Amino acid sequence: MKFLGAVLITAAIALAQPTVAPTAEPAGSTRGQNAGAYNIVNSFETGYRFAEIGGDLGKYRSDVNFTSGVRLLSSSLMIHSREGHGRFFDQLVLTTQGLGNDPYENAILRIEKNRLYRFDMSWRQNEYFNPALTIASGLHGMNTLRRFQDYDLTLLPQSSFKFFLGYTRNNQSGPALTTIQVFDSRGDEFPLFSNIRRQRNEYRLGTEIKALGYRLNLMHGWDNFKEDTPTALTAASAGANSNDAVTLNTFSRAEPYHGNSPYWRVTLIREDRKNYAVNGRFTYTAGRRAFVLDEFAGGTARFGAFNRQVLTYGDASRPVATGNLTVSLFPTSRLTLTNHTSVYNVRTDGNSYYRTVDNGTLATDFLNFQYLGIRTLANETQVNFEFSPMAAAFGGYQFSHRRVSSIERLGFTDGGAPDLAAATQTNRLHSGILGVRLRPIKPLVIVLDAELGRADRPFYPTSERDYHLLGARIQYRSRSVTFSAQARSNYNNNSTSLTSFSSQSRNYSGDLSWNPRTWVGLDLSYAKVHLYTVGGIAYFASGAFVRNDRSYYYSNIHHGNLTARFSLRRRADLFVGFSRVQDTGDGRATSTGAGIGSALPLFQTAQTYPLTFQSPMARLSLRLRERLHLNVGYQYYGYREEFSNLQNYRANTGYTSLLWSF
Amino acid sequence: MPARLILFLALVLLPQLRAQPQTSAAKPADSNHLIGSNSCRKCHPDIWSTFYRNPHYKNLANAPDARPGEPSKAAGCETCHGPGGAHVAAGGGKATIIAFSQLAPKQSLNACLVCHENTLSRANIRRSQHTLTDVVCSSCHSIHKSPVAKNLLARKQTDLCYSCHSNVRAQFSMPFKHRVNEGFMNCTDCHNPHGSFAPTWRTASRPRMVQQALANEQPCLKCHSDKRGPFVFEHAAVRVDGCESCHFPHGSPNPRLMRRPVVFTMCLECHNGRGNFGRTADGVTPQSPSHNMADPRYRNCTTCHVRIHGSNADARFLR
Repeated sequence: MKFLGAVLITAAIALAQPTVAPTAEPAGSTRGQNAGAYNIVNSFETGYRFAEIGGDLGKYRSDVNFTSGVRLLSSSLMIHSREGHGRFFDQLVLTTQGLGNDPYENAILRIEKNRLYRFDMSWRQNEYFNPALTIASGLHGMNTLRRFQDYDLTLLPQSSFKFFLGYTRNNQSGPALTTIQVFDSRGDEFPLFSNIRRQRNEYRLGTEIKALGYRLNLMHGWDNFKEDTPTALTAASAGANSNDAVTLNTFSRAEPYHGNSPYWRVTLIREDRKNYAVNGRFTYTAGRRAFVLDEFAGGTARFGAFNRQVLTYGDASRPVATGNLTVSLFPTSRLTLTNHTSVYNVRTDGNSYYRTVDNGTLATDFLNFQYLGIRTLANETQVNFEFSPMAAAFGGYQFSHRRVSSIERLGFTDGGAPDLAAATQTNRLHSGILGVRLRPIKPLVIVLDAELGRADRPFYPTSERDYHLLGARIQYRSRSVTFSAQARSNYNNNSTSLTSFSSQSRNYSGDLSWNPRTWVGLDLSYAKVHLYTVGGIAYFASGAFVRNDRSYYYSNIHHGNLTARFSLRRRADLFVGFSRVQDTGDGRATSTGAGIGSALPLFQTAQTYPLTFQSPMARLSLRLRERLHLNVGYQYYGYREEFSNLQNYRANTGYTSLLWSF
Repeated sequence: MPARLILFLALVLLPQLRAQPQTSAAKPADSNHLIGSNSCRKCHPDIWSTFYRNPHYKNLANAPDARPGEPSKAAGCETCHGPGGAHVAAGGGKATIIAFSQLAPKQSLNACLVCHENTLSRANIRRSQHTLTDVVCSSCHSIHKSPVAKNLLARKQTDLCYSCHSNVRAQFSMPFKHRVNEGFMNCTDCHNPHGSFAPTWRTASRPRMVQQALANEQPCLKCHSDKRGPFVFEHAAVRVDGCESCHFPHGSPNPRLMRRPVVFTMCLECHNGRGNFGRTADGVTPQSPSHNMADPRYRNCTTCHVRIHGSNADARFLR
């Protein structure tokens, strides 16, 4: 029991920038109570959460979003049959968090009857709010509700012949803002109201057969998606640029977008533990969507009153096929050889009929056809060799070949010759990995690894081309102390005669957990995440085409996390924590730049974005009775940007609750 | 020089390739015999008293010779720990039985895979980054003393992952992040700690531990299904290099998990006219001359190009 207590305390201590509620400490006996053939462990934590926010409420809601009110902060119900032969089930586990209006709510259920069935349910709900001030000038804010549900039933889970049934549902609904640019390229941008309505339903049916040492897994799924989001203008608008003549008096858009993506997945697995293991997987997804868009805009264009109707309809399809074959060989107990081959093929194509009617006159009438095909063949071979219990090495080589093809066809309904453009590009990547694993003493592990890659024609200026990764990790683990530290760097250089892109990412981190006694524990971590990129850019400014300019970005993030826990004679638990993230940027005092990269001031102000986000917290849990705890907690959130105070906020949050076990 | 190198490698490696003797922990003495779980419970009551809650208990309860109130002799503790005859005769001790705390990582992995082999989620465990770096089953799972309701994890999942990946903890502590610390999501929503198939959305094998979703696509699209398409006009970067082209998946100081604090620098870093791919072979198209970066209205690309993930109506993602 002492060890169990230590484990529970460790679990409670090692929280990762936790939210102050729900309370991590258990109440009541972990052994539970017997009732007939079952054992029951049950607890509820209910209380009041408060939040007082100053500053930018929208940013607070985007980052944290806890508000005031009564909550079922958490609950847990575990019922197990004591002999493993319950009448209807042998295991029932139900846990919930945040029910009753927290922004992050979830419930997880498992019911299992040995040999007969296993049922898993996951239900999650998220209030998503994002003002996104730095995107589209804050005109793309969202205030939606996301709900995810997963249900999986496995029949005969322990037999050689299993069946799987599953259902997944994913909803998003709620108000949002978007924008439209009308009526031509010199027009204006207008904010619009959008009522988001999206839904995805997936149904799964599968089986697994084990025979002759092989296991065959078959899964067929039907994935349906629909979006019926109407968009409208709520009032006449002068637009985002009020000094032009363009106005929008009326706007409405309907664009139903429906389709399905049925898929097959076949997997064959065989593991002969002495000599080899092999598995193969094939998947095929046949995605298809149909759409219609009907849009009407009326207002004033550059040359006077104007109205435009846009009608678009068509369909798009995307079949995706993948194949994987993995072979592992164990020539000796110290040597493992694995080879993984994968093939991936995707073809996206579609037709889009597009018609515009300007002031009652047909203006545009054409048919688009678009094709994007990607085929990737990759092979990776790895060797893992153990020289001795203290030293091992691993290495590997990977080759990838990718071909991307595109066809763009623009057809005109007046009989004119279609405009056709086709292109193909291939990219080959060779990369190698090498690493050593050392265990000089049993609790200490040291891993050093490196990867070097060369691609000949990556598709994007920012893609990986000539890159190398270096990594080191050390971990020491004893009964009371766990220490780990790691360093990793990722350098990429993608330069051609026209432009160059270089990124340097380095991160260092360390984590210490110290639990000398069952009543005290400490968890401390620090991480530095550094990113530095320079990319070649080209753009137009005041009529001139600017080439060979550079975009520069520098981020230097420091994160510290400290949590400590004390138990006072089993009557009270005190938990304190502090988390702080600080991006120090490139050290400049103002946003105007340090003369690095582009000379254009607007680029210099976007080169770095220093900010601080911190959150101290404390929680006291008092044991009123064996099965009843009183909890009080407080957590502060502070967000501060260096160059502007528009989005700064501070929030005092907390809760008081009763944790009851029966 | 190559000949010397080959000779050196042969001298060093060939002796290592001989079959290695098993440790005593992995293979108890031949004279050992099964004793049944009833014998184990006498000396290990703390484990036995709550073992019915353990998923492994079903192995014991449903063994062919199991009877209510009488544990199996053919299955149970000795399925994992090996015959306990010598252990009992010696009065206990870790040398006389398979004690997982004494096993080398690979032995521990092999012991678990005796039963947990052949499952889809573990199809790549032999080549996974975790296995290569000695992170095996017992590194994350606590078979007898798990404080977590499911999957016998040694700690809460996020804490378990953060204990090694503390740089990721920093990313999830950013102002904008996926809600992992809040308990809304788990690392395994996107990652497979047992190893995954090669990603279909990248050229290289990285990211190595990211789980494919929807049969063969990026896990992001499982939740962000409106970005999945297919669209007539795909933003090819989503398919060619993946969502990470523009977003940090864990957390970011920037809204919408963007890689840059403003949109236009991110767009321009790709749209600079480089390459010869695509329509009229002009590479990743640079911005149009009608755009004037000196004018603030052109610095918010997505104000006009609203359907940046893909569109059915407009090749330039305007609607």
